[in-house]
Amino acid sequence: MRLRGLLLSAPTALALVFALMAAEVPLPDPYTLPNDASSVGKRTTRKEQAPRAFREYPGWEYNNFPLAADANVPGEWLFARYMYRSIVQRSWRGGIGRLGNWTIDYPRSDRHLSAALRRLTRIQTRSNEEPVAAEDGDDIYNYPWLYAVEVGHWDLTDLQAAKLRDFLDRGGFFMCDDFHGTREWSTFIHSMKKVFPDRPIVDIPNDDPIFHTVYDLDNRYQVAGYQYVESHVTYEFGGIEPRWRAIYDDKGRIMVAICHNMDLGDSWENADDPVYPERFSALGFRIGVNYVIYAMTH
Amino acid sequence: MFELLFKYPPSVFSKGTLVLLGSWPRWVLALAILAAAGGLAWLLWRNRARLATPIQRTRAVAIWLLQSAAIALLLLMLWEPAISVASLKPQQNIVAVVVDDSRSMGIRDEDGTRLEGAERLLDGRLLAGLRSRFQVRIYRLGSGLGRVQDLKQLQPDEPSTHIAEGLRQIASDAATLPVGAVVLLSDGQDNSRGIDLDTLSELRRRHLPVNTIGFGKSRMNDVELESLDIPAKALADARLEAQVGVTQSGFTGRHTMLTLRDGSTILATHEVVLSDSGQQTETVEFNAGKAGVRNVQATLEPLPEETNKLNNQLTRVLAVDGTKRRILYVEGEPRWEYKFMRRAVEDDPVLQVVSILRTTQNKIYRQGISNPHELENGFPGVEELFDFQGLVLGSVEAGYFTPIQREMMKQFVDRRGGGLLFEGGRASLSDGGYEIDPFNQLLPVVIPKHANTFRRDPAEAALTDAGKRSLLTRIDDDRDKSLAHWNILPYLADYQDVGSPKPGAVVLVQMKAGGRTLPLLITENYGRGRTAVFATGGSWRWRMQQPKEDTSQQTYWRQLLRWLVSATPSRVVAATPTPDLEDTGRIEFRADVRDSTYLPSGDAMVSAHVIGPDGSSDTVALRPDPVKQGLYSGNWDASKDGSYLAEVTAQRGNQKLGSDVLTFRREDGAAENFHQEQNRELLRQLASETGGHYYQSRDAAKLLDEISYSEAGITARETKDLWNMPALFLLVLSLRSAEWLLRRRWGVV
Repeated sequence: MRLRGLLLSAPTALALVFALMAAEVPLPDPYTLPNDASSVGKRTTRKEQAPRAFREYPGWEYNNFPLAADANVPGEWLFARYMYRSIVQRSWRGGIGRLGNWTIDYPRSDRHLSAALRRLTRIQTRSNEEPVAAEDGDDIYNYPWLYAVEVGHWDLTDLQAAKLRDFLDRGGFFMCDDFHGTREWSTFIHSMKKVFPDRPIVDIPNDDPIFHTVYDLDNRYQVAGYQYVESHVTYEFGGIEPRWRAIYDDKGRIMVAICHNMDLGDSWENADDPVYPERFSALGFRIGVNYVIYAMTH
Repeated sequence: MFELLFKYPPSVFSKGTLVLLGSWPRWVLALAILAAAGGLAWLLWRNRARLATPIQRTRAVAIWLLQSAAIALLLLMLWEPAISVASLKPQQNIVAVVVDDSRSMGIRDEDGTRLEGAERLLDGRLLAGLRSRFQVRIYRLGSGLGRVQDLKQLQPDEPSTHIAEGLRQIASDAATLPVGAVVLLSDGQDNSRGIDLDTLSELRRRHLPVNTIGFGKSRMNDVELESLDIPAKALADARLEAQVGVTQSGFTGRHTMLTLRDGSTILATHEVVLSDSGQQTETVEFNAGKAGVRNVQATLEPLPEETNKLNNQLTRVLAVDGTKRRILYVEGEPRWEYKFMRRAVEDDPVLQVVSILRTTQNKIYRQGISNPHELENGFPGVEELFDFQGLVLGSVEAGYFTPIQREMMKQFVDRRGGGLLFEGGRASLSDGGYEIDPFNQLLPVVIPKHANTFRRDPAEAALTDAGKRSLLTRIDDDRDKSLAHWNILPYLADYQDVGSPKPGAVVLVQMKAGGRTLPLLITENYGRGRTAVFATGGSWRWRMQQPKEDTSQQTYWRQLLRWLVSATPSRVVAATPTPDLEDTGRIEFRADVRDSTYLPSGDAMVSAHVIGPDGSSDTVALRPDPVKQGLYSGNWDASKDGSYLAEVTAQRGNQKLGSDVLTFRREDGAAENFHQEQNRELLRQLASETGGHYYQSRDAAKLLDEISYSEAGITARETKDLWNMPALFLLVLSLRSAEWLLRRRWGVV
């Protein structure tokens, strides 16, 4: 009995140690971010290239979200969330400042997509996500799939834009989501032009492989955010028509997948919420699966 | 001096047989010698006791031996020793005087040219001396043998020297003419790969001695480009090595420049420091370039004091193949390695990676396919599989394949000659159940028996000594830069313990991981094909963690996949044992023909369509080998100087089995510019093997005394007395003197 108790307690103790190691750290101060882009793209040392230790930040909606039991098991793919600087905006608590928009849906949506990918595909995914900052040396290059939420509120620093461009030029894949209407599009474009001043943003045609890697997604519809539960309106800020857009590289491969006028993040985040319509999560996961498989094959 | 002591020239002794002319039997001589020796021994024994100081036993024996030898020699002379030797009858025999008038005889390394030296020798005493005793026929020797009436007809302008061919012709003439001996005046520079055994046995059978007189220095102040070895075939844009052999005399420590060219295009340059050994091999790397036939010319920049500047250049033909090599890549799970490997080789003009990726439990995703139906049912059947040249197994468990598919993979390597690469992964090798047949046979390593050999931990790659020498691991055109680059490559994202290499396998790259050093890239030849293990799925970090301009990850994968398929044969493999024809056009085509499952095909119609340097074409039928099924051969004569291309095609009925391209080159006159020192060894050997003698030009006068002793032609046997040789008398005198001196020294007079 004593031995059994000891054996049972061992994984718990390990999980506790990992949880302590991965304890929440404060959000980086958006006003003091380093912004020297001159060394981006240069050769670095193996030490600078090493992946950073896992850490958790306080989310917009969640704090101390529980870690999975296998949180310390590495995987081939993990949900890498881009830590961008936000625009100056009014907070719902009052006051004006740069908020942590990058943490919206974090980390619940990230972990749900990881679990879905593990269940639906043969990808070995890591259970917990990885927040990735351009300011952390070459850490970003360890995660060839990168996601950013609410990019209608981003205001990339020179370093963040340069690092993102270099990441994409080396073969990385960037997916962004959850921004709506023309105003947020303008904000998105403003920073995206810092990344790629010269590459056009185009609608992805239905016959593009990204819609057919696993699921044939010829018939897509608007994936609404959680606000739908109360409003029963699928769009936000006038973004009525969902647009699947992209920036292609010179060889016709998508390197930036832009999901405008939809909220895939919410569809992953709330997939286990009984009041959130299942059809949104069903398509949201299918798009997520196709995009990740595309990123890992093209 | 020799004749002063022994009365006759050495050839009399080497060719004659010893006889005793005395009428008494030989046994009487032996008995007399024994009796004399016994008597002397008895006398010595008796007198020994009477001496005031007794002589030591050893000294007595020495005196007895000297006395006995002197007596024995005198007795031998009484039996009239003589030598019986065959000699040519005067004026009844022909002596063939063969003068090499190839271009090398025009070299001025003596007093005038070598040919002038030969003419001077003949014009002097030699020709007159020969004519006084024999009928003399003068021949010129170059690529063939021709009779001349006068020495003035000789000009050093023949493009090559075929000594064996000339001698065969004279031996043939000797069947109907009384040819008593051959005198060959040459520098020994033969362009037909030496004197063959058939020619030697023909000369021996006719007892025809070939007396050789050598011209030219045996060492010249010269640098020579002796050999140029490059592969006969290569893939387009392949990195190749040329092995260039350089010999030199008199230029140790000097620098010269070696250049590889294709027409006016410079392929590579390389500085050569001439070594004191006189012989060295330089390795020069170059790029094969686009598809087509290349005339790769190596040139050594001539040094100002060189005697011969025509031997600083060699040309070889290289067929560059631009057809796509298809590689089937089976991946069991989406991985970054899959993506980045595909991206690395997608621009390679000769590689087409066709992949099957298991995205879900019941779905596969195909990329690189040639048509929508290709591989739609997953892993292909045997004929479809054998259409590929290479196969890559990613992180896919052995159990995914049926036993028949596994056996097909073995035959793919063993019989078809394909390349098979195993990648590391969580479902690969030990962790994927690869210890079963035939994977355990195909693998170049003995994999661990346990699972959990795959780790998602960093590993640092490092070249082994073999890897440092290999072109496969070259990630930069410059060798030193490549070696330096390996030291700064980012860590691999993961690694797998693949056990230990099998005997015959080569570890090119190893890795430091988890405090251990493990093999990373291991290669091996298996059957007609080759296999390799790359024990990681994490080389994608070499792309993501290096500047975007860095191409080392792409280069590495291109090199590895090119190596995998570069030696994979097609259904028809054409070859020739002599791709470089020097002063001859005779060429043999050989073809190994297989059917669609790569079993030898003995019932095919095989032909070679040859296109010559002037655009003319000809077709040669190749006949099947009666013993070995699937082999075909045929001969053809390339009449013109230049590069040729032959397409060998095999057909069975109306079905084309396949074709292969073969290149070769005929070069006339160039061989004469090489190895221009006097080949004394060849001339000496030729004389010795045929019973003749080798002379240097300065002592050729001796030939007149020795040439008569031959058993060819019309001969008479002579008996020459030896008993009165001065050497014998001197020997008797010496023996007696030695005895007297010893006695004086020992005080026993």
